[in-house]
Amino acid sequence: MDESQVSVPLPVRLRFGHAAVQRVADQVGVDLLHIKGASVDPSLRPGAYSGSDVDVLVRPSGVVVLDRALRAHGWQLYSTFEHGSPFGHAQTYLHPAWGYIDIHRYFPGIRLDPDGAFDVFWADRHRIEIAGVGCDVPSVTAQAVLLVLNAARSAKGARVDVVTVWHDADDARRDEMLQLVGRLHADVAFAAAAGGLERYRNDREYRLWKVVSGGGSRAAEWWARIRAAPDTRAALRIVMRAPLVNVDHLAHRLGRTPTRGDIVVEFLRRPVFAVVEAVRSAIRRVGPRRVVR
Amino acid sequence: MGGYRPGEWVGVLEHEDVLYAAILPDGPIAILDGIAGLIWIEACEGPAGTLVERIATATGAEPQSIRAHVESFVDDLVRRRLLVAGEG
Repeated sequence: MDESQVSVPLPVRLRFGHAAVQRVADQVGVDLLHIKGASVDPSLRPGAYSGSDVDVLVRPSGVVVLDRALRAHGWQLYSTFEHGSPFGHAQTYLHPAWGYIDIHRYFPGIRLDPDGAFDVFWADRHRIEIAGVGCDVPSVTAQAVLLVLNAARSAKGARVDVVTVWHDADDARRDEMLQLVGRLHADVAFAAAAGGLERYRNDREYRLWKVVSGGGSRAAEWWARIRAAPDTRAALRIVMRAPLVNVDHLAHRLGRTPTRGDIVVEFLRRPVFAVVEAVRSAIRRVGPRRVVR
Repeated sequence: MGGYRPGEWVGVLEHEDVLYAAILPDGPIAILDGIAGLIWIEACEGPAGTLVERIATATGAEPQSIRAHVESFVDDLVRRRLLVAGEG
């Protein structure tokens, strides 16, 4: 018997990871749904790809309790909701045996409030067994919608899921997916991956999903986020956050906890990056000679 | 005498003909490759009293030559709470 974690294949660690987080959730009475990766219905992932981490969608009211329980069982916080992603939707933990897990408090692209969206998914859940542990997953239709919404945040080349779950789907499945997309108020993000985004040209989120799904400078993405904010207060929050240093990312890049000096240097470095990006963007728009002049 | 069964908090997976067992949610993962996987399966599927003989039959070994190894291995799994003795 060998207990070297190095020699345990990633798909094995991830399946155990799903089972382990379910056990923790059961212990503390938190509702969660397994999404993406090893939990996806085989009909949606013929290639049996199990991903690189474990993803779960947690009932928002249970996030604090689950966070505490995970830490008590050896998961270390890797990146926070605030700094993990510009959407602020997920928090990442690392466990020595199971690897990475992403705790989602909502799913980007869904505009229905997080509690309401979780209830929609929860109402049609079913249970699958992973490593002998019963794990709740959304309906197959909901899984398909989540895969498309997830692809909307990927580079264009990484959209195999969209082909399988949307373009290759029969009419009945497509109708079910579109109905669910409507209930979740996720039309714009869904269109960014599945096609037809231009129909939402006048929507406040149009530019955001255009940039996120098609690529663009960081500055363009921040502007799009500000324009997509539902109200002035949310827009101001994004404006205030934009120039802040992402301490989580900086720590991972440095391989240690950043000192105050590191953070200051990084803060001063970022505007330089923004200027470089702006120049690159101008070169792309008008050609290099104009900029050289 | 009954056989064994996985502990209450133990998850078991099979991947590319190798068995893996882990205590959830804390770990670690035990790799039960080859003969180790065979012993696990036989321990869980038949009576403990004939376990060594069944392993010997499956592998073509003499029971007396493997008895100490098999029993020590199963004891280790029980000590680690990966296996528990079934009802007898």
